[in-house]
Amino acid sequence: MANTGWDEFEIGAMLRTFEGEAGNIAGTLQEDRKYTENSSFSASVADWRIEKPIFAKDYCIDCQFCWIYCPDISIISRDKKMIGIDMDHCKGCGICVEVCPTNPKSLLMFPELADEETEIAQWPAKEKKEK
Amino acid sequence: MSEMKKIKNLKEFSTSADRFEGANLLCPGCAHSIIVREVLNATNDDLVLAASTGCLEVCTAVYPYTSWDASWIHIGFENGSTAVAGAEAMYKALKTKGRLKQPDRNPKFVAFGGDGASYDIGFQWISGCMERNHDMMYVVLDNEVYANTGGQRSSSTPIGSSATTTPAGSISYGETRNKKDMMGIMAAHNIPYAAQVAPNKWKDMVKKIQKGFATEGAVFINAVSPCTTEWKFDPKDTMHLTDLATDSLVFPLYEVIDGHELNITYRPKEKDIVPVEEYLAAQGRFRHLFKDQYKYLIKEWQERVDANWAYLNRREEARV
Ligand SMILES: Cc1ncc(C[n+]2csc(CCOP(=O)(O)OP(=O)(O)O)c2C)c(N)n1
Ligand code: SF4
Ligand code: SF4
Ligand code: SF4
Ligand SMILES: [Mg+2]
Repeated sequence: MANTGWDEFEIGAMLRTFEGEAGNIAGTLQEDRKYTENSSFSASVADWRIEKPIFAKDYCIDCQFCWIYCPDISIISRDKKMIGIDMDHCKGCGICVEVCPTNPKSLLMFPELADEETEIAQWPAKEKKEK
Repeated sequence: MSEMKKIKNLKEFSTSADRFEGANLLCPGCAHSIIVREVLNATNDDLVLAASTGCLEVCTAVYPYTSWDASWIHIGFENGSTAVAGAEAMYKALKTKGRLKQPDRNPKFVAFGGDGASYDIGFQWISGCMERNHDMMYVVLDNEVYANTGGQRSSSTPIGSSATTTPAGSISYGETRNKKDMMGIMAAHNIPYAAQVAPNKWKDMVKKIQKGFATEGAVFINAVSPCTTEWKFDPKDTMHLTDLATDSLVFPLYEVIDGHELNITYRPKEKDIVPVEEYLAAQGRFRHLFKDQYKYLIKEWQERVDANWAYLNRREEARV
């Protein structure tokens, strides 16, 4: 379908974003949805990034600021806990890092090729508040 | 009426299942999608959505993809409002005739448009929808410029902003006319509910959106949407810019009920009010105002913002 040109469809053809019944999307989390290739969820913008956020769970207080202010639905929060980043949809804007209130921050930006484990192992220490 | 979604705090809100998807083509750090998420996540009811031509529409419906998990329509630049009003009118007619297949569902009708689509090109269409009091919500994504076509000024562009059609230079300080008071104009239609919102103040915003959804009749929402590309700031700073906009009172947060009952919904403490100068300094579109020749405009900006704040306070007090 993704390879069908826009002018190759019959008039009135429908592109569906979900397989089968999709009656209660607001009550269905992304991992339980049956997306088709016509939902942008099936696509990736990972190659837009120059820098990427890395999440150091130990410092996180689950405030959910990153969840609400991420423009790209890339902060994965489940059961009121922040559990990770959707690296297919994150564009590397850095907003989540800016709004993260912990000290040290639970999210920091690194070059796209940085290794997550290495960076978490050498996470910066708590910053002293300047008076 | 369906039950209102319970959103006591941000943790509870974060259990929402988004109906707006990533891998859309909006710029990194674009506030449009932060606004859209706060609107859509304010309800679990079915949605009938439209977008007028502009960044939001262009970037979320690129063939063969859509980023919308709800019925969504785009027709033209000017008529996101009437597309949704038409759907709402049909829905009402089918309901009256008892012909709805699922009469117990309570769809919400929402149209999104940029400031270009709303303050200028779709102006009369929105006015018609408000005047006819359709049971719908119109949301302006107000980035004060025609962003999608490269930054032309709109009637929402404020004084001193450098836009591609009002460029700043040695003989011009950019836009010379002041921003249109769209909230005032829409409230003057005596619609049941009009509100200005900002995505940084998510609680205030979601409360207003829910109030709008619970309102029978036309609802107008003006949402400030800092645009990293045209306002010229680093994408990571979108929320910082939104904070500066609300805390400098350049974008005061308030609502107008039935055209006359004005309530200020966010009142920063005196010591927390940010000088307008700081708001201007954070954006490339105002950079030239800091040259000696144009510095008087910064003072005028502050005076305008102060006067508007005093006006809103008087309106709130007078209840007229
Ligand atoms: C009738 C018409 N005129 C002009 C255009 C070209 N056009 C497409 S998007 C756009 C700018 C939209 O600006 P705005 O409504 O402020 O939305 P933004 O992109 O800033 O979010 C323009 C001028 C068009 N599509 N249709
Ligand atoms: S960098 Fe931007 S897109 Fe990526 S998770 Fe953070 S806020 Fe979301
Ligand atoms: S903003 Fe920081 S502390 Fe809050 S949930 Fe996100 S990562 Fe955790
Ligand atoms: S130009 Fe501005 S409004 Fe358009 S997608 Fe980019 S940041 Fe968003
Ligand atoms: Mg615009």
